[in-house]
Amino acid sequence: MRILLVEDTHDVGEAIAKRFEATGHAVDWETNGRSAAEIIDFTEYALIILDVMLPGMDGFEILRSIRKSGNSVPVLILTARSEIDDRVSALDLGADDYLVKPFDFRELEARARVLMRRHSGGEATNLIKCGDIAVDRATRSVHVGKREIQLKRRELTLLEVLVARPGRVFSKDELLDQLFGFEEAANANAIELYVGRLRKKLEGAQAHIVTVRGLGYQLVSGDAS
Amino acid sequence: MHPELPINPPSLFARLARRISLVLGIGVALLVSAAWYYADTAADKAYDRLLVGAALQMAESLAVEDGKLSVRLPASAFELLGLADRDRIFYRVIDTNGQTVTGYDDLQSPSASDNNSDAMRVEEGTYKGEAVRITRATRVLADPAVTGRAYVIVAQTNEARSALTRELTLRATILVIVMSLLAFVGAMLAIRYALQPVEHLGRAVRRRDPHDLTPVSVNVPRELDPFVGSINYFMGRLGERVDLLQRFIADAAHQIRTPLTALTAQIDLLGAGKLSKADRQHFARVKERTGELSRLTNQLLSHAMVIHRADSVQLEPISLVDVARRAWRAAVPVTVDPDIVVSFETPENRPMVLGDAVSLREAIVNVIDNALRHGAEHRLEVRVSAIDTQAFVEVEDDGPGIPPEDWEKAMQRFSTSKSHEGSSGLGFAIAQEVAKAHGGSLSFRPRNERGFVVVLTLPLYQKEPSAAVR
Repeated sequence: MRILLVEDTHDVGEAIAKRFEATGHAVDWETNGRSAAEIIDFTEYALIILDVMLPGMDGFEILRSIRKSGNSVPVLILTARSEIDDRVSALDLGADDYLVKPFDFRELEARARVLMRRHSGGEATNLIKCGDIAVDRATRSVHVGKREIQLKRRELTLLEVLVARPGRVFSKDELLDQLFGFEEAANANAIELYVGRLRKKLEGAQAHIVTVRGLGYQLVSGDAS
Repeated sequence: MHPELPINPPSLFARLARRISLVLGIGVALLVSAAWYYADTAADKAYDRLLVGAALQMAESLAVEDGKLSVRLPASAFELLGLADRDRIFYRVIDTNGQTVTGYDDLQSPSASDNNSDAMRVEEGTYKGEAVRITRATRVLADPAVTGRAYVIVAQTNEARSALTRELTLRATILVIVMSLLAFVGAMLAIRYALQPVEHLGRAVRRRDPHDLTPVSVNVPRELDPFVGSINYFMGRLGERVDLLQRFIADAAHQIRTPLTALTAQIDLLGAGKLSKADRQHFARVKERTGELSRLTNQLLSHAMVIHRADSVQLEPISLVDVARRAWRAAVPVTVDPDIVVSFETPENRPMVLGDAVSLREAIVNVIDNALRHGAEHRLEVRVSAIDTQAFVEVEDDGPGIPPEDWEKAMQRFSTSKSHEGSSGLGFAIAQEVAKAHGGSLSFRPRNERGFVVVLTLPLYQKEPSAAVR
């Protein structure tokens, strides 16, 4: 996917660009705020990674102009600023996420991935419920009752599959396809691992993942144990 | 360092009142003395005239009969003296030879030399142990038989004139005291009125928002200008300091974080793949130390930020759930260990607190970060709740927790404890600082079978404070 990186510190920009290129993304790297703002006007991106302190035009201004023009592209802000006198945060200005420098590069990559997936997942709230489990596919958040639970990417995919058809039994092979596609080699043990983690994270919910011996797994609503 | 303030500092009003009473008191004493003096003089003058008149009448009544000095004292003279009815009169008539003709012959003539015949003198004296006024009238006789000077000495006791003096003095004193009281009351009222602007100014300064460092603009009399000037001067200096500190922190944040990010970026680029086994260990350590440096830098900057914001940012009603959720999202990395169950629980209602969203988020982020780094093994729960007048953010993990004896130490900056790997750094110190600035507190709950809980307690925002009073 195409990513715009706006970062004026060369050492940092280089490392980010290399990391995303290594995972198959195309990165346009700009060092000047004004020229970045111009590019955004006529280019479509899957994600914009925006530094705040920039020559020409600062990151917050760019963010404001993006949102003012109705562009809903995911924006991840990188900030070295202290919020010593800030009245509004990057999130209030319409950023989807932010990281304070210095950050862990793996974390940046992971958050960027979450944002890109969320964006391609559609705009409207897409709520699926089973018992007291609610999965919001737009924001990719999961609630059990009034608790919000943080799930990993594959755990969420697994839950989405199960929750979409409660009561239906999914075989391990079916789930393997859904979770890993065809490009990755994974074995049935991986499914057991994810189901185990997901069960633990859903503890206390009114729906359970039930193992149907020899067939696979199903999500059962209600307190039946 | 500071000189002890007296428990009861002297009031300007009391001081002025004391001074004015003193001046008025001295004035009253002087005026009363003067009144007494004038009354005394006036009474003397009045009664002396009667005395002299009587003496003259008596002297006039002296006559020579049959070659002898005869005395026929006129009744009118005694009538004149009788005006002072309680006083006693003594007299003595001395003939030309110096012999007493009649009266008390031990009554002394007022002055020995009496050449200045015309002026009738009245003098103080004592007779029979009583204070008297004495005068002497001279009659020059030119009879062939009796020639020379005959004298009439008249003395009168002082009761009437003393009474007059007393009465005159008393009346004058009453007048003086009434006037003084009026003056005192008037002065007190004037002082109160004059001191009013001081109170106005005090109230205006007290009512100000502590974050407002603009000059005070209250209408005060010219005399208070230096005072207001000083206040504004200090406000100005404080404002400059605050701005300077703010600029410094902002500069430090950008100037340190940018190269630090560049450093971590380069370490990330380097990667461990191409290194030899020994170098890989060094590389891991460099990476770890850089991470520590990054974390510490962020904590120091965040500590400076929350301290500064506590003094400079206006608190406003905010939703604690929103702030805590943002903190939760920021503090829990997406790359967190997949075996840790991380959850966030909110109450049905939306508890509101009066606070600074940035500082509160920073506090919660630090508590969660601490729990993830030092506590959580399989579970981390963040809960927001509200009971009565208090709102809570609880961070629970299933780690070993902090034993109660180390709680106090854990709140301190850069404290280390045995149960924690390394230092908890500034995390709890930041959270505690923020809690205090919001009128709340940071506390721990003893480890139970579920886990160890850190609680941030904040007062709930009352929508209408007046409704609570009613």
